[in-house]
Order: sequence, then structure tokens, then C-alpha cells
Amino acid sequence: MVSRRDRDLLRDDLRQRGTKLSTADREQLLKTYLPNPAELPNRSRASTATSERRKTRKKPIRSFLKSQLHRLVYAVTHIIFGIVVRLLQAYHAVVNRIFAVVYHHHRTPELIRKDVRGLKRLPQHLSTILTLRKEDDALAVLMDEVAELAAWSSCAGIPQLSIYEKTGVLKSCLPALHQIITTKLASYYGTPSQQPSLQLYAPHHPVHGKPASPYSETGSLTILLLSSTDGRETLVDLTKTLAEMSQNGKLSPDDITPELVDAEISEITTQPLAADPAFSETMLKPEPDLLLVFGPFLKLDGYPPWQIRLTEMYCTGIRSHGLNGDGEAVEYQGYMRGLWHFAGAQMRFGR
Amino acid sequence: MAGSMHMSRLRNWFLASPPVEFAITNLKELLIGALQQGPIPQHVAFVMDGNRRFARSHGIETVEGHNLGFEALARILEVCYKSGVKVVTIYAFSIENFKRSKFEVDALMEMAKVKLSQMAQHGDLLDRYGAKVRVLGRLDLLKPDVLAAVNRAVDLTSRNGDRVLNICFPYTSRDEITTAIRDTVEDYSKPIQNTRSAGAASRTPFSESHIAYNIRAQTLGSKTHDTTSDSESTSGSSAQDDDLPTRNDRANHVYESGSSFSSSTTLHHGGQQEPHKGSPQTAPTESDSPVYISPETISRQTLNDRMLTKGTPPLDILIRTSGVERLSDFMLWQTHENTEIVFLDVMWPEFDLWHFLPVMLGWQRRISKSRQDPDAEGNFAGDSPESSEEDLDTMLLRQSGKVKSI
Repeated sequence: MVSRRDRDLLRDDLRQRGTKLSTADREQLLKTYLPNPAELPNRSRASTATSERRKTRKKPIRSFLKSQLHRLVYAVTHIIFGIVVRLLQAYHAVVNRIFAVVYHHHRTPELIRKDVRGLKRLPQHLSTILTLRKEDDALAVLMDEVAELAAWSSCAGIPQLSIYEKTGVLKSCLPALHQIITTKLASYYGTPSQQPSLQLYAPHHPVHGKPASPYSETGSLTILLLSSTDGRETLVDLTKTLAEMSQNGKLSPDDITPELVDAEISEITTQPLAADPAFSETMLKPEPDLLLVFGPFLKLDGYPPWQIRLTEMYCTGIRSHGLNGDGEAVEYQGYMRGLWHFAGAQMRFGR
Repeated sequence: MAGSMHMSRLRNWFLASPPVEFAITNLKELLIGALQQGPIPQHVAFVMDGNRRFARSHGIETVEGHNLGFEALARILEVCYKSGVKVVTIYAFSIENFKRSKFEVDALMEMAKVKLSQMAQHGDLLDRYGAKVRVLGRLDLLKPDVLAAVNRAVDLTSRNGDRVLNICFPYTSRDEITTAIRDTVEDYSKPIQNTRSAGAASRTPFSESHIAYNIRAQTLGSKTHDTTSDSESTSGSSAQDDDLPTRNDRANHVYESGSSFSSSTTLHHGGQQEPHKGSPQTAPTESDSPVYISPETISRQTLNDRMLTKGTPPLDILIRTSGVERLSDFMLWQTHENTEIVFLDVMWPEFDLWHFLPVMLGWQRRISKSRQDPDAEGNFAGDSPESSEEDLDTMLLRQSGKVKSI
């Protein structure tokens, strides 16, 4: 830590654009804060002989005690930190339970709508990261989570939802997933006439579902499925194509601009919609406004990098996976907290 | 308001008194030493956000806020390097920031210039202790005097130790990715000049020339006259996989040029004849359409090697201060896999060890846990970052200690 006097000196110097102090002055000032040259690890210098002698003269007992002390402090801080984390976890678990009781959707769109009514802004394109668990029924659980998210989003009035799942297993069962989501929507909305129109697709896959009619009052929901191949792999594919074009003389490397890459990358996620004339009305915003991560900490896990430049990220926070086996990661109250956080609001007990 | 001002002055006076200062310094040293006992992230990135807001809320000038931010940077760099972090990447200036007021941009540039040239003055000190400084970004957007200072500082520190400080100066991640793509495309659209073989990598694991060679070897007894079709296909795509096809390829060309030889002798003596047949050998490659490396060989690694952060360990932690929860075009390519992203609700000039410590402890905790039993937490099973050997050693030590205590 720099002492106050020296700090003020340096600040003064900076204000004068480095003219006040001479080089030697500054070095003199810094000298007290620099580590002893002899303590630097494995650095061979011209003055090795002297430092070598000093090294042998160093007190082994003192350094041993020092390392033991460090080890002890490490253990103690981690124990204290662990206790604090556990306490926080317990606290959040209680708070989450209360929220889960107070804010429950009861599968009623009106209640969900009421929960988001006071919010200043809603994401137009919401994105979530889901993980496939290891149990036997993992896929069924995952699909149910997607369906729940779809139902909440459509009730809250979020028109676009993208689901990232690393392995891409969801993409292989689009029709089944579409069926499950429709069933889930029916359990929320009732008769099909009241349900929003649903479009489900993935890059390089056809669109499932019927297009939204512009006059319907039920709204529409567009769901995009992403996987890790839509991330770096897509950029690599783009590079391959560009390299091939350049080799054939169809393109000069100078033509490659961020705008071109952006257009091409956005195309990947919007292309299936645009290709089908029935869906040309539905435009997907390629960059999500809000990224919800259901997990203990924020890790993107291979999420497509290009699109998240300005995306706000929210992690539902400390979750105890250990308590009830798999732990139901995707919860309504976590989802709501994310939306409230995005709007810059605080959730309170009691609706 | 007045009361809080008074309190804060009292607090400052208390913290600045010599014994307290001494105690805090020693406590920090102790904590850093303790941190070293556990796994340490190899690469940490910071988005230094909140200088302006800090200045506004404290009623000081924006430029002064940036100065305080620089001090915070020096503080945190000390913590990082002392605790064993190898690479620190900071977001100093975004390309978008050029849109800010000219006064502020100029002041920031001036500050960078002063700091960098001061660094250059302390050349020998840096040699002894310093880290390597690298400036990432669009240097062509800088003014010449700033650029000169940048280059001087980079040159001066290029031979320094294994610690690296990456300063993202006029930088955006999209620009970085685009540049990486463009560089790749440029590299791949250079025709291959060397004459060792016609093509570089084949699309298939089998090379056509090799097959042709085998067929010819089977019909060895009879004379083969029409090898023109062979050589055409050969120059189109052949392999660099191993030595054998390349040499056959050469043999083909040699055969083609010296047409008076019979095929069998050429094939067998191709290797020996090659040296003094150097000049006609080049002829077929040049006369054909230019040959390129196949774009299919482009991989994630190809792009990775052309990112500005090439050669540094993967990013372990990214910290953004000031409570803004987005990446703002920083390190998109690098963070989107295993990086832990942390958003802290503190302005950058206030950022210190006390905010950094919980992040480090949390990371250490998670890493040690996932190393002890990788199946425990499904989220990060098996992908704990590479650890240096000393980390593993301490892990082992602690584990053995546990066993003993049991």
C-alpha cells in the first residue's frame, strides 16, 4: 500500500503532466514499494553472485514459519469464507422459498402479467442458458423447462426467446418439443384460440408452427434454439467460406468488415424465418437484450460470442445443487427476479 | 451531508495514520501470501468502469476520476502479480469511446502518453521487476505521438519476465474477431509459393497422387505413356501429410519434364535425381492455376491464433466494476467458454483488494471442489482450468494433510 504522502506527491506530479518530479525522484519514491530483488523467483541477473550469497544467508526458519503462516491463513480464510457462503446460501434459499410462495404463477397468464406490469422495460429478446443434467429423464426435464420458459415469456409479453443448450440435443427433437410447448401453453391459456401463435426453429432447421396473423390479439412467440456449434464453429465456417471466396477471386480481404460479419452471423439466426415467406413478417432481433443464467455463477459455457456484445446478463445466483438431487434450476421466481433486475427494480415481498 | 463529510474525513485521517497504515499493509501482504497457497487464475481481465460516475458523484473532474482509476489499476496489478496471476488484461479504451467529448478523449490520451513515457524512463527498473506490456487494438486509430509512446513502452518491456499486462487500447471485440477472420482469409488466399509440393492439404485422407502411384506400381512392368492426366489432378490437390506422396509428386513432375525416362526408373530413382533436376521441377506448378491451402483446414485454433490475445492462457476471471452487467464488446471470443464473469457494484477508483478477495476465494473454492470430485457439480464437471504444477503440488499437500488428520 502506498502511503498517503507519497500518493499525494505522485498525484501532484501527474497533474503537472509528469514534469514536477525527475526520473530519479520517482524511482526514489517507488523504491520502498518494490520487492527485494533477492526475493524474486528464479531470475538470473548479472549480480547473481551477491544475491546468491544473500539467498544462502536467508533465514530458513523464518521463511518456513512464514509459509506455514500463509498456509494457516489460507485455511482460515477459506473456512470463514465457506461459512459465509453457506450462510448466504441458506439466507437466499429462505428468501427464494418466500418468493416462490408469494410469486407463483399458478398457471394463470393474468398473474404473470400482473407481476411484470410495473416494470419500466421488458426485454424484447430474452435468452437463457440451460444445462442438460445427467439423469435418465434429463431430456424430458429439459424440454419441460423450455416449455415453462416459453409459457412465462408469452404471458409476460416477451415476443422472442432463445434457448441455449450446449449439446444441441433439443435441435434433434424439434417436432416433439413443439408438441410439448403447445401442450404447456394450453395448460396456461386454455383453448387454442386464446393461445399465442408459436414458432420454433433452430439455425439450419425449418420453422415449426404457424405464422402469427397480424390481427390476432393473442400475440406470438418465437423460440430459437442454440447450441455450442452456433458459436465459434459458425465463425469458423464463415471464415472458411470467405477464404474460399477470396481464393476464387470473388472477394478481397479488405471487404471483410464488422458490418459484413454481423450481417452474416445475424443471418444464421434469422434465415429460417426469412426463407419461409409465411414467416417473413416475424423478425427476430439477433442480439438478445437479457441473458438469464440459471446457475450458481455466471459462465457462458460456449454461448455464441458475437451476439452478446451489449446483452445484459443476470445470474439467478447461489443455488444449492446438493440439497434435493438435481435441484429444479429453472424457477419462476428466478425468472421474475431476472426481469425485475433488467428493469432496474427491486422485488419485494408481497405482490 | 456535513456530518458524513466529517465522518469520512475522520476515517481518512484514521486510515492514514502511520500505525494503521502499517497494519493494513501487513494484513494485505498476509492475505496475498495466503491466496498463493491455493489455485491461482492464470489470466484475469478487468473492465475499468465507473471512473466518470465516481468523479460525478464525488464532485471532482472527470479527468481526475480517470487519474484515480489509474491508481486503482496500479493497486490491483500489484495484488494480481504478487499472488501469481500471469496475465492481466484491461479494457482501457474502446473504439466507441472516440465518440466521447474531445476534451475527455484528449485527456485520456495524454494520460496514457505520460504514463507510458514514464514507464519508458524507468527502463532498468522495469527490466528487473516489470511485466511485459502489450497493447491490443487498433493502433492505427491513435495519434502519432501516442503511438510512439506505445511502441516505445512495448519495445522496452518485450524482453521482460513471464508476467504480461495486456492493455486493450482502442479495442472492441467485434473488431478483433473481424480482424482475425480477415487475417485468416488473407493468409489462405496467398498462393503457395514453395515448390516442395503442388498443394498443401488434401480434402480427403487419401491423396490422388499416392493412388496413382500405387496403380502404376502394380502395372510396373508395362510402360505408362499418358501421365498428363495424373499430373493435372496431382497439382490440383495433393497432400503434405507425409513424405512419401510428396516425393512421388516430385517424381511425377520430374518424370513429366524428363519425358525420355521410363516410368519405372523415374519412380524408383526420383529421390536421388531430384537435386540436379531442380529447375524444371518448378515449371508445372507455376504454369497451373495458383494453388491454395484448403479452407477446410481452418479451425477454431486457426482463429484463436489470430486473436490479439494469442499465446496467453485462457481467461479465467473477468471482472467488471460499476454494476453494469454487460460485456460491452470486450473479450467476447475469450470469455464465452469457461470464464467466470463477475459484475461488482463498486466504482473502479474504489476497487481494491477487499473487493477482489471474495472473487478470488470463490474461484479457488470452486476450482478446488471441482478438482476434488469432478462429478459433484454438473455445471463445470471436468473442465477445470489447467493448473500449474505448483498448484497441483499444494493441492496434493493439502489432501495428504487431510488424510493424515483423519
